[in-house]
Amino acid sequence: MLVYSLLAGLLFGLYFSLIGLGLNLVFGVMRIVNLAHGDFLMLGAFLAFWLFTLISLNPIPAIFIVFLVFVIVGLPLYYLLVPRLLRAKDPEMLSFILFFGLSQVIEALATIAFGTSERSIPGGELGRAIVAVASLLAGHHVENGPIDIFGQTFPAAWVASGIASGIAVLLVYVYLYRTRLGYLTRAVMVHREEAIATGINVHRVSAIAFGIGLGLASVAGVFAPFMLGSITPAMGVEVTVTSFTVIVIGSLGKPLGTLLGGIIYGVSYMFMQSYYSSWANLLPYVLLVAILLVRPSGLLGRQVRRA
Amino acid sequence: MTRHAIFAGLIASVISVATNAPAADAPKAISLGTLYASSGRFASISMPVHYGLKLWIDQKNAEGGVFVKAFNKKIPLKLVAYDDQSNTATAATLYNQLITQDKVDILIADSGSVLTSVAVPIARDHKMLLINQTGTGANFFTPDNPYIVLMADPVSSVWPKPLADFITHDGPHLGIKRVAILYATNDFTGTQANAVRKFIKEANSGVDIVFDQGIPTETSSYTVLLNNIKASNPDAVIHLGYASNDIAFLRNVQDSGIKFNFVFCIYPGLETELLEKNVGSKGLNYVFTYVPSSQIAYQSQFGMSLNEYETAWQQKYANTNVEFGFNSVAGYTTGLVLEKALAAATSLDQLELRKAIFSLSGNLKTLDGTFALDESGAQIGEITPLGQLIAEGDHVKFVTVWPHDVSTGKPIYPRP
Repeated sequence: MLVYSLLAGLLFGLYFSLIGLGLNLVFGVMRIVNLAHGDFLMLGAFLAFWLFTLISLNPIPAIFIVFLVFVIVGLPLYYLLVPRLLRAKDPEMLSFILFFGLSQVIEALATIAFGTSERSIPGGELGRAIVAVASLLAGHHVENGPIDIFGQTFPAAWVASGIASGIAVLLVYVYLYRTRLGYLTRAVMVHREEAIATGINVHRVSAIAFGIGLGLASVAGVFAPFMLGSITPAMGVEVTVTSFTVIVIGSLGKPLGTLLGGIIYGVSYMFMQSYYSSWANLLPYVLLVAILLVRPSGLLGRQVRRA
Repeated sequence: MTRHAIFAGLIASVISVATNAPAADAPKAISLGTLYASSGRFASISMPVHYGLKLWIDQKNAEGGVFVKAFNKKIPLKLVAYDDQSNTATAATLYNQLITQDKVDILIADSGSVLTSVAVPIARDHKMLLINQTGTGANFFTPDNPYIVLMADPVSSVWPKPLADFITHDGPHLGIKRVAILYATNDFTGTQANAVRKFIKEANSGVDIVFDQGIPTETSSYTVLLNNIKASNPDAVIHLGYASNDIAFLRNVQDSGIKFNFVFCIYPGLETELLEKNVGSKGLNYVFTYVPSSQIAYQSQFGMSLNEYETAWQQKYANTNVEFGFNSVAGYTTGLVLEKALAAATSLDQLELRKAIFSLSGNLKTLDGTFALDESGAQIGEITPLGQLIAEGDHVKFVTVWPHDVSTGKPIYPRP
């Protein structure tokens, strides 16, 4: 039970790292809290659902379409909302209100469009993608089904989600630390005014980061039907709260902190499910409060604002 | 002579007032106040109930209203409905508004125990009879509270009896000796879990409960829980949760490759169409569940039959995203009971309405079965038999397995 909970927590936590990654990137670059983050995840989930339902597109290739769509959506949305917000006296506080309103609008529109009932994609669909890759690597056909890790069996969807999350974290790291745009992004994260003074087109850099943030949320949404049981228009708020917990535990503004925060959240949640299941939902928030009291800047501490 | 004339005139006036008073005082409409959840966790069980009630209201208004004995005439119905968005705090505020601002004649709760729970003390404090549609939490019904009646679901302290009876009577012959119970901790499924536990222990049939855990109602990930259940080596697994819980549970069972010999869930029976869409017929194959009134054509003596109602529903709501199932029957059943009660009550006084509703107990047979209340207002009729789902293409069919006198086939155990 202990080993299973630990491994399950790692996989589950990786998924929540993916959920928190986009939110942390947006906060790190713009210092705004996107309270509609979970709703963009929900929209990504519904896009993947409709792609599967209408044209039988497997969720794995759907990831690329969904990511691209939301990056494109994020660019004009940034220019519509954020520059005005940043001119305000207290943009962080105002961003709470603005994006909360946006969250409610998205949820209401999604409810009208999709209805209130739960929707999901068959679990075997993610398994097919893994089977295809595994068969290629093994040189022979591999059966679709649960996957064995250190003697413990997990749904293929969890493994696929864990792999995708790991790849996403790696790609964000490469983007931030190995690309010119990433250098510029980190410069903006460290000190926005100085970046402006050095001639960096801060709005362009921020818009791209915002788009990528929404894109990452939507990619997490593709896995939501498998990791969260089903999707509904109302799921966004709860997801936003959880992703906020993850990034605060790790540290605000640092993507690697999100990875740590996600894993801590996942492992603690799974341990609670095993041993004190009635209280499972409580522990992550207890951890959040504890970390804020003991180490307010998050587990990765003062590295937060140094890119 | 003049005195006689005056006296006769007075007598005539009194008689005239006495005979004309009901028509003169009759309201323009009987206002029904209710809540619904158009979003959030409980939307999928609330909207079908709300739509069922609306269908009844629209039908009656098309006929000129319902007959109200208190005024000896047909009076139209007016629905005052607000959206609580599955939020109990919002629901509490809105229930208060319905009573104190809108001053509705009849107060009807939203669907499900969670959204009904906040209405119980509010209705009681305002001495307003709460028409509880589907909130089956046993602690709602106490001998000292006359202001609640349950319409369309059996109270959760008796509802799981067919399940427990099957496990303790037929179970040992089939090889069921070890039972695992996993339940969401809320009024509805918590009460069902207590009842199952009690019935199994009282039966003294050699069936042991080897796993018994409560989980938050918001739980959407069951992989670790399933692993822990598997470790207890049960012959039967009973999962008690809402629709979203059942969907996540059954999907996780399928994806994890764990095979339990017997799995019971509530919502494959109550919202079959929804579960077919999310879990698939393969995931529902051999699952045990309650056989609801939306699957059994009870002989109804009042109101539409199941077939007629389903046809009316499809005509009205085919283009909505609200599935037809047990909950849609529940909303319509509420309407039928109110119709009968208004035709029997001598006034709109809340306790008089209660008396009228109680007079129907044991005598009213609708498409939901026989309406029967205990002294605290809990529904002890409309019992749902236990059935097993068998996949047929993309859909599932019900095979009733308990009680034996209504069974339509033999249970398949262990699951192949």
